Formats: sequence, C-alpha cells, structure tokens
Amino acid sequence: MSQQPGQQPDGNNPAVDPSIWRGMTSPRMSRRQLLTAAGAGAGALGLSGLLAACGVKGVGSASKTSGPAATGVGSASWWAKQQLNHQVNFANWPYYIDVLKGKHPTLEHFTATTGINVTYTEPISDNLPFYAKIRPSLQAKQPTGYDIIVMTNNSPPLGYLIDFGWLVPLDQSKMTNFYANAGPLVKNPSWDKGNKYTMAWQSGWTAIGYNGAAISNPGTSVGILFDKKYAGKVGMMSDPQELGSVGLLAIDVEPATSTESDWAKAAQFLQKQKSDGIVRNYYDQSYINALKNGDILVAQAWSGDIFQADLNSKYKNLHLLIPSQGGMFWTDNMCIPAQAQNPRDAMTLMDYFYQPQVEAVVEYYNDYVCPVPGAKQVLLNPTGWAAQALKEMKPEIGLPPSTTADAPLVFPTQQYIQNSRSYYQYKSQEELTAWNNLFLPITQGS
Amino acid sequence: MSKALAPYLLSLPGGLWLLALFLVPLVTMLSLSLQTCNFGTGACVMTWHWGEFGQQLNLYHGQLLTSFYYAGAATVIDLLVSFPIAYWIAFYGGRKKNFFLLMLLVPFFVSFVIRTVVWEFILSDQGVVLGPLKHAHLLPQNFHVLATGFAVVAGLAYNYLPFTALPLYVAIERIDKRVLDAAYDLYATRRSAFSRVILPLTIPGLFAAFLLTFVPALGDYVNQQILGGTSDTMIGTVIQNAFLVNLDYAGGSALSAVLLAVALIGIFAYARLLGSRTIEDYL
Repeated sequence: MSQQPGQQPDGNNPAVDPSIWRGMTSPRMSRRQLLTAAGAGAGALGLSGLLAACGVKGVGSASKTSGPAATGVGSASWWAKQQLNHQVNFANWPYYIDVLKGKHPTLEHFTATTGINVTYTEPISDNLPFYAKIRPSLQAKQPTGYDIIVMTNNSPPLGYLIDFGWLVPLDQSKMTNFYANAGPLVKNPSWDKGNKYTMAWQSGWTAIGYNGAAISNPGTSVGILFDKKYAGKVGMMSDPQELGSVGLLAIDVEPATSTESDWAKAAQFLQKQKSDGIVRNYYDQSYINALKNGDILVAQAWSGDIFQADLNSKYKNLHLLIPSQGGMFWTDNMCIPAQAQNPRDAMTLMDYFYQPQVEAVVEYYNDYVCPVPGAKQVLLNPTGWAAQALKEMKPEIGLPPSTTADAPLVFPTQQYIQNSRSYYQYKSQEELTAWNNLFLPITQGS
Repeated sequence: MSKALAPYLLSLPGGLWLLALFLVPLVTMLSLSLQTCNFGTGACVMTWHWGEFGQQLNLYHGQLLTSFYYAGAATVIDLLVSFPIAYWIAFYGGRKKNFFLLMLLVPFFVSFVIRTVVWEFILSDQGVVLGPLKHAHLLPQNFHVLATGFAVVAGLAYNYLPFTALPLYVAIERIDKRVLDAAYDLYATRRSAFSRVILPLTIPGLFAAFLLTFVPALGDYVNQQILGGTSDTMIGTVIQNAFLVNLDYAGGSALSAVLLAVALIGIFAYARLLGSRTIEDYL
C-alpha cells in the first residue's frame, strides 16, 4: 500500500483500496471506525445488542503484531517512506524537562537546529488514566494526537501498548546517538528487549523523602515509614504498585520475586501501619506539597522530586533516603503511539536527547537518573551550546552544574545501582486483580 | 381517537429522553457489572459473573456505609443551616430578596474543585488558620482538621448548601403570609404557628431539598479526596478510582449498581412515609 505524505499510515489494513483513502474527506475517520460506529448503533436496538455494545470487543485489539512485517508499520521499508513534517507533539509528565523563563532550552535548541517545531504538553500524571484516554483512539486506529508519549515500566500500560501492537517499532537505523551514548541501565532493558519500541526518558527511585529539620537521624531502614514516633506525619503513595512494593520491602521480601502469600503479609503490615494511626494519607504526586507545607514529615517519594526541592533554598531541609532494603527503580520510556502523524520527527527528537550536551541541560533542571552517563562530563566541563544554556539557567537553579554531576541520584554509583530493586511483573490479569484487591482497600479505607 | 393519543404523543419527547439518557446508560451499567473486562483492551464479555457484587461488597461495604453516614450528616447540617436563611429571605427579604439570594450563590460561581482545594489550603496543618494558633500554643502541634471525617462532612455541607437552600426558599416563599396572621388570630403562639402551620407547609420543599442534597453528596468523590484522610473514603472515590485509575469497569459498575439500588430503596421508602402524601396534599 503506497503512502502519500500526510496520509494515515495503516499497515494492518492492506485490503483498503488507496482510492478510498483519497476519497475520505476527514482524515480522522477510518473506514473501520465508521463500520464499528454503525454496528454499535444497529446493535443498540435490541437488548442483546445493548449488552454487546457496552464492551468494545476486539476492535483493533487483537492485532498482536509480535514484530513488524516486511512492509508493515515500523519496518525498514515503512520507515523509508516516512518524511519529516517539521512538527512533533510530545506528551510528557509535569515538571520533567528543563525550564528557563517559561521556555524549554533543549526544545528551543532542537527547533533551531532541525527546523522541527515541538508542541510540548504535560498531560500525563498517571499511567493508567492516561492510557485509558488514548486507548479509544488506538482501538479505532486513529491518531492519538501525540507523536511521543512517556510511559513507566512499573505500570501495566507499557506492556499493554507493546502487546496490542499500539506502538510504532522504532527506526533502529536512526538511533545513532542512543547506541553511542545510552547507559547500561536503559540499553536493551528487560521490559523492551533490543529497544524495539522505547528509549528511556529518565529513571528514578521510589524511596523515602524526609524533613531534616524535624528528623535529624532517619536511620537507614524503610522502617522509618512505620515508626510510631512519626504517627500521623507519614505519607504513603496511593498507587497500588508503589504501596505494595514498599510493604514487601518492609517485610524483607524482594518485590520482583514475591508470591501472593507475601503480598497478603505485606498488605497486613500496611493495614496495621494505617490502623496504628501512622499514615496521614495516601498521596499521588501531591505528596511533595504535603512534605513542603509540613503536613507530613516523612513519605514515600520519587528521587528527583526531593532532589529538586533540596536544591531550592526554601526547602533545603528535604532529603532523600534510599533505604538499606533497596529503592524501587523505575524508568519512564519515550515511545511512539500507533497512527502517530509525525513518526520521523518523533524519531529525530527522541534520538536528539541522547546527546550528552542535551541531556546535561535536561538533568541540570531535572535531577532524575540520567540515561546518558556522558552528560556528567558536560556538566563538569561545559562546552559549546550546553555551556551557554547551563550558564543562563544557573541563576534560577542556584547551584553550579557540578552539583548535579556529582550527585549519585543523577549519575548513580555502583552501590546505588546494586541497591535498586525491580517491581513485580504481573503474569496475568488475575494476579493484577489479586494485587489490587489487597492494596487498594488500604488506600481507600473506611 | 386523536384525543386519546394526545397524552402519549405529548409524553413522547420526555419518554425518549428518559429512554436514551437514563434507561440505556442504566442498563449498560448493570450489564457491565456482570461482564468480565480485560484491563488492557477494555473489552468486556458477558459472563453473568454475579460474584463481582459479593466481592466488591466484601471489599468496600464499609465505604458504602461511610457514604450514607457522611451524606446524611451533611444533609442534616445543610437543612438546619439553610432553613433560617431561606425563611428570613422569604419573609423579611423585602425588595432585596434577589440580592440576598445572589449573595447566597456568589461563592458557587467558582468551580467546585477550586473551592474545595482552597479549603485544603486554608485548613492545612501549618496553614493560615492552624499555623498561628499552633504557634501561639493554643492548639497542640499534632492537631489537624484535614484528613478527618469532620473535614469531609464540612466540605460536603459547604459545597451542597445552595441545593438545600434554594428549594427550601421556593417552598417557604410560596406560603401565603396571611396564614400566619390567621394562626395568631386563633391564639397560636409563635412556636405552635411555626410547628403546626409553617413547617407542614414546607415539607415538600424539605423533601426536595433533602433529595437534591443527599443524592449528589452520596456519590461525591471530590471532597473526600481533597479534605479526607485514610479512614473516611466514600464510595464515590472508590467507584471513580475503579473506572478512571484502575480501569476495573466491572467492579466499578457493580458498586455503582449497589449504590443506586440502596439509594433508590431508601428514597422510595422515605417518599412513601413522608414525601408523596404531602406533595399530593399541598401541590
């Protein structure tokens, strides 16, 4: 099937006559979608139809493309036909990229050097809800409106997207920077062998943040979250994966290799923590505000949040503790959702971030784990464009770039890497349900 | 012939409206609660899995009870607070009635969520209210208002006040003021004039106010999430999380169905005891 520029790529539907595509007045409505809508409408007339119309059975979901066909989406010949549209829509999590006076220096530099405009938005605050938002478009084989999305490896949606063929396999020939500069933590990762679909954006630990003004001796154990001394001043995460994992660490069980009976014990331990009045609340991203305004003194926390706050003189009392039981290590991954309208531009931007100079600027602001170890040298001895950008950012950040370069939270030492733990990977929906039924009732207590 | 058909024809738009926007979603929800859904694709297959109800009730019956308790408390508070307000505006508002009503409504031009978040800010442990009080040692350091059931009930009562006050105002405003004079002429005390004349005349308004406050408060999922803590979760939050955060459509539907059923039974019972008779009597 020949691709016209600006036309819907649809490798799974080779039977569609190109003339039908040309005849379509609206590029946002595919023929399959039209038929689905018509079918649902007709079915709604009878009760059985009503029942069936509730689900979205099999619409586009069954296309388990284990690998790109010779000419399918993501194949070498498909990529060869993709052209630059000089536009890319990048959906990321909030506060996750360098900022200078309301602009993003790395994105400005990208546009200046490539001529590709970036529409950068921050619509992702949680994996599952964001996935639920883009899923109907993916199922209907319509563009989601995004060319790059960022999904975490510790939550089910990344696996769903890969399994259902809803990600465009990357153009391996255009990942030069990635293969030259990516660190061992993000190259060929267990959740995406061979980096077929993803390139890491940032990694980080879910560990413990505490207020140093109130807690001078936090110790080294995850037990601080369960210490009666801080009753009513402890914040836990409402995310069941995060909550369950720290519960497992607390009972000295390795989360990645845990069993259902371990989960039950961890849930019991966490339930007791709650009934003892230790937990103030179960938070989403808002835990950082609760830490800052003093509602809580110690909390489950993401490493970069605490380090960013730490750099800010107003909150210099906030510190991070990676407990001796280990910090939960996760990676957020850039990927291209199916039907993305500017895949070539997306590839260009994703690989662009794998230059040490660019990543140095991102990290100077971000302070999560840098996927490019070489960025450390740039932060220590800035050159060229990066030197200029870092210099301009310095007054707002307050500390020299060498602070970021020397931080083990950004460029982890061997000890930090060894102290990292992986999340449990659910083998079936039943396991996920079992996990949720144990940990969700804790966060939603009555 | 056409005369006989007229009532049906006239009720057709309303009937279609109910069918399309009430019955269809309702049946969909009930059917979804018996299906088994794939979390990944969202595809659901009818499996007549009645066990979902038992399991969800087993996990979340406490949250269901909390919801009734909190929504009930908030409704009672609202009725007690808004009755004098509505009464005063209706009887003594004079030409400024509309102005007073507007004053009552002004806070509600601000978005529901923003209003609640501002309360979170005001009431935070070291915030503008508690901070200075703690600093002056008038309150113990670990005292907090947020993350308590009290804060949730207060938030519900605050957010739903106009839904109570306005129907009450309409009911009271409609009372012919001369019936009070008649009561006094017949040697009624102020108290008995209120309890035997005014109050019975406002019962339809009270019932409407109760429904309009209690039902949305029962399913509310905003106040608890912003103002509440670990042990005051309302069923609305659980349902919202099931649908939007955990993508468990069957579980969320089962809980919604239970909530709906219990609420309907309760309200019908209430209507038979108190509402319908008096509505027929007084309308």
